[in-house]
Amino acid sequence: MLPKLDPLLHSELRLAIMSILAGVEEADFNYLKEQTGATSGNLSVQIDKLAEAGYIAVEKGFKGKKPCTTCRITPTGTEAFRNYVKALKRYISAGK
Amino acid sequence: MEQNKEMTAQESLSLITETLNSSRKEITRRSAKYYILWGTLLTVFSLIIYFLWKSTDKAAWNCLWFAMPVIGYLVAWVGLGKKQEERVSNDVSRITSGIWSTFGIFACAVAAFTIIFSHVHVGTDNIGGAVRALIALGSLTGEIVLIFGLAESACGVALKNWVMKIAGFVTGIGGLCSYYITGASHDQMLIFTFAGLVLVATGLIVKHQYK
Repeated sequence: MLPKLDPLLHSELRLAIMSILAGVEEADFNYLKEQTGATSGNLSVQIDKLAEAGYIAVEKGFKGKKPCTTCRITPTGTEAFRNYVKALKRYISAGK
Repeated sequence: MEQNKEMTAQESLSLITETLNSSRKEITRRSAKYYILWGTLLTVFSLIIYFLWKSTDKAAWNCLWFAMPVIGYLVAWVGLGKKQEERVSNDVSRITSGIWSTFGIFACAVAAFTIIFSHVHVGTDNIGGAVRALIALGSLTGEIVLIFGLAESACGVALKNWVMKIAGFVTGIGGLCSYYITGASHDQMLIFTFAGLVLVATGLIVKHQYK
């Protein structure tokens, strides 16, 4: 039986956010926005959802006078991301 | 990018691969501006020292090197830092930053210890301690250009970039050979000019590669 795909990660934008954060130590909001091409509002909502699930840690601060939101993947997020990739591979090999 | 788009397993996996690759390329591309900055400074400083040393025949102008890191960090902090509103770092960017910091520390430490020890040795010599120290400082070109090339090649290994690997080798080994040919004269400054130009070219190539 094929494993169920994590619904939180099985969304284009949230998966893109997690993929970016899986490859970097940390990234700020503007970088995520630039890389995903998402709108600020949409990106903000998805970041909040991932943070609520404990997949990412969000740190809000200031860089000079400008507000700055920095995100990093948590160990829970890394584990969930790893399991999601494993599940995807099983889906693909089952489909062949 | 939509959050509710239905994706197949293959599409999801492709998205992950593409995003990871794109992020790595972006970080490499961003490092290019620092290569251009430090390469430009190295070229300008070496040419200034070359012309001053040549026209006055005084190796003391080597002291100007100590101003280069001050100006470089100031420009990086004020100029490039402000523009860099999107902050991102990964293991590779941390390693390359560590490599250049280590190079900076080694270069400054070697220069500082050369001044100290040449001053200690001067003792009863007729030659002035400060003059001797500056002459000794001028004889460091070979060693410094070698570790400079090593640092650049090591960054190429970390960033998986063959241009940097080759440029580092050419600068380090080529610079050392040139030093033995030119000897401790003002001409050795042109080795640093060459190293600076290679660094600028590396930055421009990397920037173009990941456009």
